[in-house]
Amino acid sequence: MKRALTSRDWFGKSSAGLLLGFFLALGAGGLFKALAGVGDTFFSTKGQLAMWMMAPVWALVLSFCFMFRSTARAWGWLAAANVVLWGAIWALGGIAP
Amino acid sequence: MKLPTDLVRMYKEIHGWVGIISGLALFIAFYAGAITMFEEPLQRWASPPSRLAPPPSLERTPELIEKVLAAHPGAKKGYDVNLAIDSARPARVSWVEATPEEAEHGGGVTYYASLRPDGALQVETRGPSPVAQFIDVLHQQVGLAFLDHEVAMPIMGAVSLLYMIAIVSGLVVLLPSLVSDLFALRIGRNVKRMWLDVHNLLGLFSVPFHVIMALTAVVFAFHDQFYDAQAVAFGRPERPERSAPAGPPPPLLTPAAIVAKLQDQAPGFTPIVLDYSGRPDGSVFLRVAGTDPRFGTRGPTYGFASVDPASGEIVSSDYMPGRQDGWSATITSFFALHFGSFGGAPIRWAYFLLGLAGAFVFYTGNLLWIESRRKRERKAGAVEQTRSTRVLGALTVGVPLGCMAGISVTLAAAKILGFAATPGLHSVIYHAVFLAFVVAALVRGAARAGPELSIAAAVAMLTIPAASLVAGPDWFGSPALIAVDAVAVGLALTLAASARSARRRRFAAPRDSVWADPGLNAPHPG
Repeated sequence: MKRALTSRDWFGKSSAGLLLGFFLALGAGGLFKALAGVGDTFFSTKGQLAMWMMAPVWALVLSFCFMFRSTARAWGWLAAANVVLWGAIWALGGIAP
Repeated sequence: MKLPTDLVRMYKEIHGWVGIISGLALFIAFYAGAITMFEEPLQRWASPPSRLAPPPSLERTPELIEKVLAAHPGAKKGYDVNLAIDSARPARVSWVEATPEEAEHGGGVTYYASLRPDGALQVETRGPSPVAQFIDVLHQQVGLAFLDHEVAMPIMGAVSLLYMIAIVSGLVVLLPSLVSDLFALRIGRNVKRMWLDVHNLLGLFSVPFHVIMALTAVVFAFHDQFYDAQAVAFGRPERPERSAPAGPPPPLLTPAAIVAKLQDQAPGFTPIVLDYSGRPDGSVFLRVAGTDPRFGTRGPTYGFASVDPASGEIVSSDYMPGRQDGWSATITSFFALHFGSFGGAPIRWAYFLLGLAGAFVFYTGNLLWIESRRKRERKAGAVEQTRSTRVLGALTVGVPLGCMAGISVTLAAAKILGFAATPGLHSVIYHAVFLAFVVAALVRGAARAGPELSIAAAVAMLTIPAASLVAGPDWFGSPALIAVDAVAVGLALTLAASARSARRRRFAAPRDSVWADPGLNAPHPG
């Protein structure tokens, strides 16, 4: 039987959402930068958009991270998502040397 | 819509906790934010009639600039030429002199210059009221106006993240009963049910507004950290080297010629301020602030065009209303959606009402939390409210009313203080009133403080029209500013009406409610 969702393990889940969600948000902006070819001009509008993208990704991961069945699952799935995302950015050559 | 019950129960608890942590700060942010929708007219309302000679015509402005630069070399770093003169922008030419440290925090002394009838230079350092700016800071720092900007911003960002969680969790809780509850507004004996219906109705219909505010506020709080993190991870683009100008800089066009050139290039754009800044190498940079009513703006009230001061050609229109490419216009839309800087006066009024409604959602949220605590505690056998619930009840009365009264009194004080007003003085007045309300609420308890402080806040609201009467008609640069006093009277009447129902509740509420007068032995209805 599935374990019922509870707010008792809020700290473990929300810290995963806060920390790993931040890296997902950073990665989302980085993926956009790599795909849209931002990075050559100072304070370009595309660069600003890449920064703005971080807020919804971070806030939504933080809002929905409570839906994981357990703290371990929250950390595990969000870490896996980070690995996939950052792997893609690395493959596109978007990470700073 | 069917959702698993454990999911709904979990999000209900989360909604309660994030709401109770952030609710009072959000109330202040929304109430002060609603007021900043009219920051510009408020500044005109609060600013004393200028002591400057009437501004020289735009054609004669070069003479004024020449005299300013000769007498005040500090102005060479940068000065503004104001195209629209009113009490908030009283001088044709103004500039700020600040040490680098002051400049970083937007400090320094502002100078306002005009020409006397005999052509002599007149310079004043006493200018328009800083009170509208103070209310804006109060809004930006979710009520923590006394803190340093650098300290207040992460706190505001944390509140914004909690706010986003509250929106999502509130939606999850509401979804299952959405169809049956949506238009049900059960006003009757069950007060909690009524507050819940009001909270849901207002909350649900302003969800898009709330999502915009929460997400933009996260960016406003953390943009430095976001940019820094991106620079570390993906590299920081170099600021392009500016090629050194060959030979002496070309002569500047006159302001009148700049305005004419702009009119040719962008007919819909109304320039309002020409903002000149001098670079160390002697060249001059010109940024023109202005509006185009057909487009939203990047700033709370203006967009910007970069213009070549020697030729009048637009060199960058990234922030210029109506002349942006898709990327810039997208970014500008985020700012405009937060600032309500699109669609003119109707949108400003709509945002004002949405802001007040938002503040009311947070207030009703607190009320509901207290009521649920009472139910739970009574089930657990408690006859009296716990200390924390009583304190929270008192704060739910004291903080919102204290914020409203503090803003009213500090705004009214602008007309009494006149040129003696400073941001620090306005802050002291606001916080004195605010603290007095909070302390009174804690001492008297929620039940008695409710009606008493509502009346006190209504009186505080009436100091606004009273100050207008004392200051006299000279302060009304335009008759439309009377709207400020009219809105204050309207809010005072609303507060007086709520004082009446709070008094009724004080005698009728169940004895164990925080809203019941502990000195009275009201019969228990249930």
